[in-house]
Amino acid sequence: MFIQIEPTSEIPIYTQLANQLIELIASGAIKASEALPSVRSLAADLGVNMHTVNKAYHELEKKNIIEIIPKSGAIINSISANGPTDMQMDLIKLHLKPLIAESIVYGMDKEQILSITSSIISEITEG
Amino acid sequence: MVLSLFLVIILFLTVMQAAIPYLLKNTIVFGVTIPEGYTDDKALVMFKKTYSATIFSIGLIGLLIYVFWTLGNHLPEEKIVFIGLILQFGILLISMGLYLYFHIKTMKRKRENKWGDNLKRVRVADLTSRSNDEMLPSLMFALPIPITLCLIVYTAIQYGAMPDMIPTHWGPNGQPDAFTVKSPFSVIAMLLILAIMQVMMLAINYFTKKSGVKLNASKRSTSRIQQLSFRKYTSWLLFLVSISMTVLFGFFQLTTIHENLGGPTLMMVMPLGFLFIMLIATAVYAFKVGQGGSRVQLEFDEEPIEGVTDYDDDAYWKAGVFYVNKNDPSIFVEKRFGVGWTLNFGNPIGYLIIIGPLLVILGIAFLLD
Repeated sequence: MFIQIEPTSEIPIYTQLANQLIELIASGAIKASEALPSVRSLAADLGVNMHTVNKAYHELEKKNIIEIIPKSGAIINSISANGPTDMQMDLIKLHLKPLIAESIVYGMDKEQILSITSSIISEITEG
Repeated sequence: MVLSLFLVIILFLTVMQAAIPYLLKNTIVFGVTIPEGYTDDKALVMFKKTYSATIFSIGLIGLLIYVFWTLGNHLPEEKIVFIGLILQFGILLISMGLYLYFHIKTMKRKRENKWGDNLKRVRVADLTSRSNDEMLPSLMFALPIPITLCLIVYTAIQYGAMPDMIPTHWGPNGQPDAFTVKSPFSVIAMLLILAIMQVMMLAINYFTKKSGVKLNASKRSTSRIQQLSFRKYTSWLLFLVSISMTVLFGFFQLTTIHENLGGPTLMMVMPLGFLFIMLIATAVYAFKVGQGGSRVQLEFDEEPIEGVTDYDDDAYWKAGVFYVNKNDPSIFVEKRFGVGWTLNFGNPIGYLIIIGPLLVILGIAFLLD
């Protein structure tokens, strides 16, 4: 289960880290109730500031993807059986909308956008 | 006797110094990060060869001159020791100078050829590396400490029966050759030094365990296995040092209390045995494990991932030797030129662990004089 960050990228390191952790959870590589490495050890492995890892973990906690329990660490929550909450739904729409708009501006039609989406889904779930 | 001892040590030092470029990961050459794909560059191969051949020849020539000169002039023992030490420092200094020369040349070559400018520079971590880390538990390093405490208590009980002069230094034949006046402090000084070293090694193990498992971005699985082996065997070596030192110091303390305990043969064999165990263990470690586990042989051959290379952290490595990175919470990091760990000088805890104990030991030695 490798994490890869690009320190010189425009995307902040904590966002890269949070995104990759979410991907690992989505693919099933990390399962519910498993623990993430401690902030200190992941920061040491990546050679980045502990605040950076801490920020990524808190981002995931805010999104209800993990739970930070004092002394036991960051534990993965189980994927909700009832689907996303209204709030999560709104958030996803908010993030998707500009991306879809951009795709249309680039000249993609509905078919193309849907086929990219489905190929990304299989990429994530099939690892 | 002294001469042959120095002969072995200097030969060992020469071979080790000369071999360093070949004990390292091929992605770090003379302290410079070399991106995957350029590691077999002809100039770099030449640099390594020149370095090794030069150090090896200088070491051998120095050794020959040393042997013939001491044998020809029938020098007294102190002189042989003195010149032997000078020779060791000389070899180390020349290695450092030559390293610096090739460090600058390698940097220049990398810059001029723009190596890795078209590669994505990334850092990679494995989320499971901690649960697979097989470094010895720090508790094991605490085991020898009670032995030292027992010896201190035993020394206190035997205080009245101990001789008036307490040995502080032993010659190459294992016989004491320097003494100090008996006092409650001087009789346990050696045990105090032992206890400090034991605690220091415990701290080193504890903090290296917390330090980062740094992986190679383009050969992840290989470097993961090599890193974990390196961590394991480094902690084994440290444990061996801790145990051997406890045995050696404990033995000397007992011979101080009971003067006829050891007998001259055992007195001579113990420190020699310690020396040889250390030399052999270090050699096996350096050549079988190598820096970062680079000499650990794997059953599979991993294809390097195209288009990525390790993030270039040369900026944090002053002269390619001193790591100063305030952001990295690792207290110890792998050396770039040599086998083993070095300090992250950006982290004050590191200074405390190494320099603190050394100052206390120097203080004890100073008080004994």
